Amino acid sequence: MKERSRAVPVDLAPYADNTGITSARATAAGAFNLWGNTFPAGELPPPGTAVVDGLPFRFPLAPAGEPDNVRCAGQLLPLPPGRYDWIQLLAAAERRTEDQALLHYADGAVDPEWLRVSDFWPQTRSRFGAAPAYECRVLHYPRHVDDKFGPVVWRHRVPVPRESDLAAVRLPDNPAIHVFAMTLVPALVPATEGAA
Amino acid sequence: MSVLLEDIRPWRHDLGGCLHGCLATLLESRGVTALPVLGAAWTFRHFPGGVRREEYYYPCRAGDSLLQALAPYHPVRSEWHEPADAAAGWREVREQLSAGHAVAVAVDNFELSFRPAYRDVHSNHLVVVHGYDEERGTVRVLDAVPPAFHGDIPLAELTAARNSGNDLVHERDMFFTGVHIGNRWLSVELGVPADEFPPLDRDEADRVLRLNQEHFAARPDGDGYRGLAGQEAFLTGMVKRLAAGEAIRDELFVAAGAALACTAVHADWLALAGRTLDHPGLLEQARAVDRVAHHWSAVRIFAALTSDGEVSPARLARRVDALMRDHESALTGLEQERTRL
Repeated sequence: MKERSRAVPVDLAPYADNTGITSARATAAGAFNLWGNTFPAGELPPPGTAVVDGLPFRFPLAPAGEPDNVRCAGQLLPLPPGRYDWIQLLAAAERRTEDQALLHYADGAVDPEWLRVSDFWPQTRSRFGAAPAYECRVLHYPRHVDDKFGPVVWRHRVPVPRESDLAAVRLPDNPAIHVFAMTLVPALVPATEGAA
Repeated sequence: MSVLLEDIRPWRHDLGGCLHGCLATLLESRGVTALPVLGAAWTFRHFPGGVRREEYYYPCRAGDSLLQALAPYHPVRSEWHEPADAAAGWREVREQLSAGHAVAVAVDNFELSFRPAYRDVHSNHLVVVHGYDEERGTVRVLDAVPPAFHGDIPLAELTAARNSGNDLVHERDMFFTGVHIGNRWLSVELGVPADEFPPLDRDEADRVLRLNQEHFAARPDGDGYRGLAGQEAFLTGMVKRLAAGEAIRDELFVAAGAALACTAVHADWLALAGRTLDHPGLLEQARAVDRVAHHWSAVRIFAALTSDGEVSPARLARRVDALMRDHESALTGLEQERTRL
């Protein structure tokens, strides 16, 4: 028998540097991509805890129009130390792309692991086998709301293979990748070990 | 009078654009399966000063057509037609449709009500036209680029899009504006009947892989940048120009878009060949080439951010170095796989 403790949402607010979500009243307040497209706040969870596929995420706490996602530029994110199986992400990319994140363990070990993120652009399926977290019905442009199609926030995951405490993750330097939320899924631990 | 050409199907690659989509649709309308033709060549070319402000830009040698540039290993070509005015533009397209040939037409998205850029952003785009109804005053248009559209629009709307000045008005009119659309239209021609195109068998896979190796091994020939050495020279040149304070955004963004599309569609060609020939090694190499495409996705956004000073030359240089290493590795793997066919 194995059991898993509760998932650990990570606060990305201190690292948010891109505004990808706007309200319909102020669509020019952000620019997820070069053309100023943004996700519609009205179709995404309110700031705070959101549950996706049974996993709790700390959805961006910023009000619509304020920085709400981390554009990957090699940031080192400290994590609550612990044994984890997965780093789960709510993320989207400007065209699909991939790079290696660097997993820093508490004992000083560092392993690269692939972070693959699917395209936010509407009507584009994931080529990485990701699950859509939020499929919006409209896409925001700086001067209008287009209701012909909507962007997608994807749920992706990065494995944590090493059987030791994870302490931090360095995101890749790839500005096409945007991360909205991150949750650590604790490792399955044998019941006897957990009880010791 | 009305004409509606049947079996005109949308074709889209997620990392390609309107050029690949339109040419694929036109090839398939002639009975040629698109991916074995459009995805065969994996090449790099860049002509300084030759980047055109078109969503359907693709680097072409002088004398080569757009389709020849994309599919140099197959007997296909395309031709741009440049009518004198809007009336001639429709007359020529109508004649093609009446003769049973679908065509692609250049349009300004600003004038097309089915595009999200309608009355917002100008852009030089490409769509397929394959029918008209003079009684209703409509034309049948196919646009596979999201939001995908396949239906009738007023001829007057298409004419406005084809005859647009495509003006550069505000800051989001980027890359693909500032040149007249000019009522241009594009036709596709086959050099041999569709049933004489080479089947995707082991000989064809060997031929394509060998030609791609030869392309990337070729030395610069004075005709712009080409091959692996040309690609490295172009990209490192971009880094140097960024370090010197030059504006590289537009040139690198558009060039990277063409390289991204070429690389990603070739990855799909390799995957198709792997499945068709039951050759797992080709599937693995398809993934390696996709990895190179994903570098180009990043380069494209790095390029876009250079104008805001967000991207240092060192950051761009690191990406260029990683892309080149993975590209060389993929070529090595592909050559090994070719010998196992």
